[in-house]
Amino acid sequence: MKKMLLIAKREFLATAGTRAFIIGTLATPVMMGVLIFVMPRMLQKGPPKVEGQVAMIDPTGQVTSGLQAYLRPEEIAKRRQGDFRKMQEAMPPALRTTGGGAGVPQAAVDQAFRTALGEVPRLQIVSLDPGADVEAAKRPLAAVPSKDLAGTERLVLVVVHPDAVVRAAGKDQFGSYDLFVRGKLDDRVVTEINDGMHDAVVGARMRLSGLDPKQIDAITQVERVKSRTVTASGENDTNRFMNQIMPFALMALLLTSVLMSGSYLLTTMVEEKSNRVVEVLLSAVSPMELMAGKILGQLVVGLLVLALYLGLGLMALISFASLGMLDPLLIVYLLVFFLLAYVSVGAFMAAIGSAVNEMREAQGLMMPVMIVLMVPWLMWMPISRDPNSLFAIVLSFVPALGSFVMMLRLASPTPPALWQTLLAVVVGAGGAYASMWFAAKVFRIGLLMYGKPPSFATLVRWARTG
Amino acid sequence: MSPADVVPSSPHPVTPAIALRGLTKTFGETVAVRDLDLTVPTGALYGVIGPNGAGKTTAIRMMLSILMPDRGTLNVLGRASALEAKDRIGYLPEERGLYKKMRVGAFLTYMAQLKGDDDPDLPRRVRQWLERVGLAEVERKRCEELSKGMQQKVQFLAAVIHRPDLLVLDEPFSGLDPVNQRLIRELVRDEHRRGATVLFSTHVMVHAEQLCDHVVMIHRGAKVLDDEIANIRARFDPRSLLFEPFNPGADVQVLAALPGVSRLNRDGGSWELMLSPGADPAAVIGAVAARLTPARIEVRRPTLEDVFVNIVTADAGDSEAAALRAAVRDPAGVESEVRS
Repeated sequence: MKKMLLIAKREFLATAGTRAFIIGTLATPVMMGVLIFVMPRMLQKGPPKVEGQVAMIDPTGQVTSGLQAYLRPEEIAKRRQGDFRKMQEAMPPALRTTGGGAGVPQAAVDQAFRTALGEVPRLQIVSLDPGADVEAAKRPLAAVPSKDLAGTERLVLVVVHPDAVVRAAGKDQFGSYDLFVRGKLDDRVVTEINDGMHDAVVGARMRLSGLDPKQIDAITQVERVKSRTVTASGENDTNRFMNQIMPFALMALLLTSVLMSGSYLLTTMVEEKSNRVVEVLLSAVSPMELMAGKILGQLVVGLLVLALYLGLGLMALISFASLGMLDPLLIVYLLVFFLLAYVSVGAFMAAIGSAVNEMREAQGLMMPVMIVLMVPWLMWMPISRDPNSLFAIVLSFVPALGSFVMMLRLASPTPPALWQTLLAVVVGAGGAYASMWFAAKVFRIGLLMYGKPPSFATLVRWARTG
Repeated sequence: MSPADVVPSSPHPVTPAIALRGLTKTFGETVAVRDLDLTVPTGALYGVIGPNGAGKTTAIRMMLSILMPDRGTLNVLGRASALEAKDRIGYLPEERGLYKKMRVGAFLTYMAQLKGDDDPDLPRRVRQWLERVGLAEVERKRCEELSKGMQQKVQFLAAVIHRPDLLVLDEPFSGLDPVNQRLIRELVRDEHRRGATVLFSTHVMVHAEQLCDHVVMIHRGAKVLDDEIANIRARFDPRSLLFEPFNPGADVQVLAALPGVSRLNRDGGSWELMLSPGADPAAVIGAVAARLTPARIEVRRPTLEDVFVNIVTADAGDSEAAALRAAVRDPAGVESEVRS
């Protein structure tokens, strides 16, 4: 036992202590952490405040007032609040950061609002003569920004076509408008002006056609509602995130940890064999102690990877005040199924590593493992959509594969019955034992075999006769 | 002499460190080791010799329970399996390696700990060993930074760092230059003096002659000789003199007529004078020296190489004998030190 722990410790340090592991394994969570935690804080500063003139050349005389009304700061603020509300409603309740709900101060709501949608621009409409020279009107847009003129500089020039509101004789189509903007102008301002021009031009066309724009608007509005999921345990808002993203995230976490630690196990095993250090080790420990120590060492590596990514996920949920959406039992299941999947896959990897002389030779023998690990990726969507289909249930009881399928099912809104979970654990444990038995047989023979790499059939023969 | 004629001698009355009975191992159609009986007494220094492919490494791997025999029984340090006595055994395999990225000191400490050495003084002992082999400055270096010779010394230290009762060395001198061969030889002798039973294999007979009390010869998986070096020399004494005349142009043929000389053979630049049965070598030397001034004259002693080739080619032709002789010579050249 002590020797096995010594081997496990060396295996862990030799893997997790390398620069490649630290960079390869930690870089991704760090980058995700930066994206989740640092970037939003940097973005909280928001884009610079936009203040300046929007020059209009409106030969129709019908559009300017509409755009002026649309771009009033209070109107922009009202629209943005509406957008923010829609955004919030589209999210699952747990992810709604603000909204003036219980315990959330209005200041926090305002802050969140400003953060999410940015500072309201202050745009002053300046009407130019309908016959003004467009080229001359454009010139101020190219002028170098000056602090003395801050707030009064021309940012945009809108040139409305004469037939934008009333069709020209003999034409089926209305005219439009041209838009000229200063360099590096916030694209959200350009969007506001385009939206404003759309409203102003359509409004003008309706008025001139004798239609009431407000009535038309009311007629064409149908509120989009959220569906509600009805289950035996009650009725809840349908949660797309919970339905698909969470099962996928947990399954991917499981798969990544198993694949990563299994690959490390294969690599270190091949290295020890090609370094010829394995016979020295065998003079000190039994093949079973060596294999078990290596598997245990990489198990800890896998748990470290799992803990890193899981911790990151939990921090993200805490950051969004939505930790409650993760059932703690899922973490327990994740650990149990990681253990079963890792031992099944890892023992197989160790067996392959012991049988070959270099990584290239391992490729062919890895095929069965890779097929098992590909199935969860391919089957994620059908299983997530119908976690209790016969297909999903059958796959749950396939050794090694069952761990990944069960994670998908357990994290779904309609988790499987307890007996299925327990049976999957028993089958997974049986598979892990069989894999260890196979690996132990192959390991003992393969370790001292050099020369031509064995085929998969040879490995099976070793296991039968070893 | 055939393998059946071999009678193992057992001059040591104490409990054997290794006792093998009828050990056999086959790989497919090939019989790597056939019915091997071997007793290595505690405290002995044994050499297992034979050409490459003779079955030495397979026999050693079975002794250490790294390979399981198809047939036969073994007892190592009083246990039915070396697995039960691993911590008391030091092993330097023929195919040896190091953890390339591991630091030398950490590697030796790790190997000692794997052998159950929990001595708190272990780091100091590691440093002492490194100093002893001239590698004090590499303790913090990674193994991959060492030269091949340095790595071989570290590998040897890994086999002895835990003060084993039984030291098994498979081809310990292969790839070493003469200076390092001498160093390893001294270290092996030191371990033997400390009380360790030493068994080592080599395909270079001179190495065994320089180091061992007792040799076991293996050829094609079977034991063909198992005896003390002194006994072997007595049994295989060629009863001949080696003679080189002081005057290269002298008529050496006249020596054939001397009493006690039965035959005269040319041996390169020397002559071999075969002694008649019952002839006294000292008297013949006196007679030879009186007749022709010698540049060199000595009693020819059998080498293990001669003995081995003699045994295994009893029924073979000259070409096979020459091939075997080449197989058991050190390709790198061995120091011509004569063991006293």
